[in-house]
Amino acid sequence: MKITGNIGFIRKNNVLSPLDLTGGELSFSVDRDETIQIYCLHLIGSLNIKVQLQKEGARCSLNCVYLSHQKARNNLSFEVIHNERQTSSEQIVRGILLDQASMNFLGTIRIPPNSQKCVGTQNHRAVLLSDEASVSAIPELEIYADDVQCSHGSAVGPLDENALFYLQSRGIDKKQATQILLKAFLTDLMPNEIQTVIDEWMAEYV
Amino acid sequence: MAFLEIKDLHAGIGEKEIIKGLNLTIEKGEVHAIMGPNGSGKSTLSNIIAGHPAYTVYGGSILFKGKDLLSLSPDERANSGVFLAFQYPTELPGVGTALFLKTALNAKRKFLGEKELDAVQFMKRLKTRATALGITDEMLKRPVNVGFSGGEKKKIETFQMAFLEPDFCILDEMDSGLDIDALKVVSDGINVMREPHRSFLMITHYQRLLNYIRPDVVHIMVDGRIVRSGDMSLALYLEEKGYEDYR
Repeated sequence: MKITGNIGFIRKNNVLSPLDLTGGELSFSVDRDETIQIYCLHLIGSLNIKVQLQKEGARCSLNCVYLSHQKARNNLSFEVIHNERQTSSEQIVRGILLDQASMNFLGTIRIPPNSQKCVGTQNHRAVLLSDEASVSAIPELEIYADDVQCSHGSAVGPLDENALFYLQSRGIDKKQATQILLKAFLTDLMPNEIQTVIDEWMAEYV
Repeated sequence: MAFLEIKDLHAGIGEKEIIKGLNLTIEKGEVHAIMGPNGSGKSTLSNIIAGHPAYTVYGGSILFKGKDLLSLSPDERANSGVFLAFQYPTELPGVGTALFLKTALNAKRKFLGEKELDAVQFMKRLKTRATALGITDEMLKRPVNVGFSGGEKKKIETFQMAFLEPDFCILDEMDSGLDIDALKVVSDGINVMREPHRSFLMITHYQRLLNYIRPDVVHIMVDGRIVRSGDMSLALYLEEKGYEDYR
């Protein structure tokens, strides 16, 4: 498998179109009652995505899967700014790291004082398949309005030993059991266009 | 050659020894029950036979059909015929039950040098076995053990066992969390599997399960060793007197 770069898609008005992530920096602005969904597969280098929710009813969802192996030192940052009241955002990030790979994830939710009734969530989970792989996940919640709903969560660790053992105890070898659990970990997150690349990556490196 | 032969087994977690010189021989077609108080090492023993990586074996041997079981990975043990019905079956969110069973069955067939089943053959086999144990299509569509009640989990464990056709079945506290009706369904499912080529090891606290699945041999395990073996009357004696005599 030849990795040529990171892969991105955006869904807007129910139309999915590719995003060019080669520059590593993207910013979006979302208008009244508009919804955008961004999907990215982060494989190499740095990626910064910034979204400004400009008018009431603006919504965004940022979904990222990152896969790192060997000695990769990767960076990912999501920044969502709720510039108007009643806007909502969601960040979902899932990572798998092998070998000596490391990842720095910075997820920011910024809600200025006048942006009441906003909803902002962030959830980050990563699986480390090697003792030498590492993740640093920093949630940055800058909330200045008092009537908002915000949450964030992060979990990083190895695959569940008991889940692996359960699969193995039914005759499934460790490699296949690992792939089954990783696939389950990323279930239904990415559009098919990205999922096929994830499957290829897992078949090759895990 | 015994079917399963455990000799002077010493094992535990880290440096904490739990199994302290255990000997056990099970012949083909026999049903054995191990009874013992909490903390005697019963569940540890079942996990060690199945190959749980959290446990370390310090010494002794386990021979299964003449093979050195301890040198095999958990999946190789399973494909050689060992099946552990878990006391607390692990939930696997995102892993569909039917796909899981297909992967497991084909892994075993591949290991044995048989042809893997295609989707149609697999579904046919799945449906036939599922109906017998009251496993619904809806249960097979759910992720493995996720959202199942205690009784349903044990039924699915029994069903997996019937489906994968192992020849040595370890039933770890099969009766825990089961009401009388579910216990009956599960025991019936196990009893129909009793055949001359298949052996069972039941681990239990209570004699209750043994009323449904009659063992050939009953062992009492205390502090990591089997301290006494006998027939069903031993279980009845324990029910009356408790484990006090053996501590």
